[in-house]
Amino acid sequence: MMKANLLALPLALAAAGVAYASSGMLPEDALNVQIKKAKDPSYLTQSPQNIMMMPDNPAWIVAEAGEKLFKEARGPKNASLEKCDFGKGPGVLEGAHAELPRYFADTGKVMDLDTRLVHCMKTLQGFTNDDPAIKQKHGSKSDIMKLQTYIGSKSSGYAWNPPMNHPLEKAMRDAGEVMFYRRSATMDFNCATCHTQTGKRIRASVLPNVYEPTEWTKAISWPAQRTSHDEVRSSQHRALECLWQMRYPNIKNGSDASIAMISFWTDAARGEPAIVPDLKR
Amino acid sequence: MFKKTPIAAVAAASLLLIAGGCTATNAGKTEAAKPAPVAAAAAPVAAPAAAPAVKVDYTKMSAKDLAEYLIFESDSYDLKQPTQEGTTGRARLEQDLIQKTCSLMKGQELSDKDREKVMAAAAASIKYPEGGIKLGDWKNGRELAWSGFGFRTAHNPDDHTGRQAGGNCYNCHQLATDRTGGDIGPSLTGYGKNRGTSPDMLKYTYDVIYNAHAYFACTNMHRNGAMGVLNQNQIADVMAYLFDPASPVNK
Repeated sequence: MMKANLLALPLALAAAGVAYASSGMLPEDALNVQIKKAKDPSYLTQSPQNIMMMPDNPAWIVAEAGEKLFKEARGPKNASLEKCDFGKGPGVLEGAHAELPRYFADTGKVMDLDTRLVHCMKTLQGFTNDDPAIKQKHGSKSDIMKLQTYIGSKSSGYAWNPPMNHPLEKAMRDAGEVMFYRRSATMDFNCATCHTQTGKRIRASVLPNVYEPTEWTKAISWPAQRTSHDEVRSSQHRALECLWQMRYPNIKNGSDASIAMISFWTDAARGEPAIVPDLKR
Repeated sequence: MFKKTPIAAVAAASLLLIAGGCTATNAGKTEAAKPAPVAAAAAPVAAPAAAPAVKVDYTKMSAKDLAEYLIFESDSYDLKQPTQEGTTGRARLEQDLIQKTCSLMKGQELSDKDREKVMAAAAASIKYPEGGIKLGDWKNGRELAWSGFGFRTAHNPDDHTGRQAGGNCYNCHQLATDRTGGDIGPSLTGYGKNRGTSPDMLKYTYDVIYNAHAYFACTNMHRNGAMGVLNQNQIADVMAYLFDPASPVNK
């Protein structure tokens, strides 16, 4: 039972409010640390109902289904995902998501959780792009989201720390930063339009500020249950939906532009604990 | 994009890049780190005429060049996606002068010269109704101010045939207090009551709705008129919502 395991992990860290966590914390505890630390917690506290519901986050059911899928021998190669290397060695999940996106020598690419998972499902299990296991990218019923939620949950409380040692990691992050400020399309939006001030609202929704890592970590903590969708969503889905509202054309799942953006936004939360699975409006 | 490339393909790519005068001067990842044009040209290339997609070295580009490359050349966006205005996804991503000038990074200030350039371009974009600026129907203006519908494409395109695109005003502004507006822009509650309806005030308001950069260079506000989000009649309706004494904005 993953929740029980996480509970056993040092809650003292949460109490002490240590920023650079190197071991797990339940998402609700990680969030509480951030709320106490924030100068203006209005983004973090905007939904008391969600905070209240976090211990019973429906995403945990999705994560449990993901754990089962992860350990099950599946696909044409009849293999589990237990040898998948998410950057910290084959099968090491603890803290792995907090260090993504990162460069992988075996593909020569910077990959996020989504793309790395798909890579392993192809190479280890023999799935192809046409298999429903890979094709279905969104929704709590999809294998991809079950697996991502399980793998992501193993980084809860770990400080975001995407490596910047490989030149490609830096290049992608820097291009993502440019894209964050690049205005275009019908409404002249860039990401900065909505995400460079604390406590500002689009209609009733309080927006997260990229310059405040304390609150920004929650914004980028995916997978998360979205109560308005009744589905668990991924980082890739967040990019898709923001860009849709921005009147941009469809961004492709796992595309290099998506990885660049995710690299930049994860780097902006560096040092703050991941809150996964989160519960968002 | 970073897959190991066979030497022949790398050489071919180098040739392509040289021929095309592309800013990306490096092909491949490690093997082609130093693609001396002469050496590449001299290499005995037996690649097919239609070479595979050019492999470029992302680490050799400036962040700006890489961002442009990722947006337009890396198969990241559906550039052929149809838009409501009859263009394509590519056109949505291409920047005009105002968008380009206003893509200011953190800590980057707009220069006086650029400010003047933006304001002049914005002022020049504004077209006025033939019979002069008039107030329309505040009730339709209310709906337009509230509606965030329109021009979205991506995975869920808005169908404009059955429904008019809105002005998205409430996203950022508080207007009448019966509905919750955002606060990225200033509150406009009581707009007409507080300002009156002099010709200058009407013109100023029309201009700001049409293209606010004419007064506020590089504002966050979108250009309703200049980008075709609202037509002149719709702008008149939104203005009625702002100025009409009967409008809930002024109650």
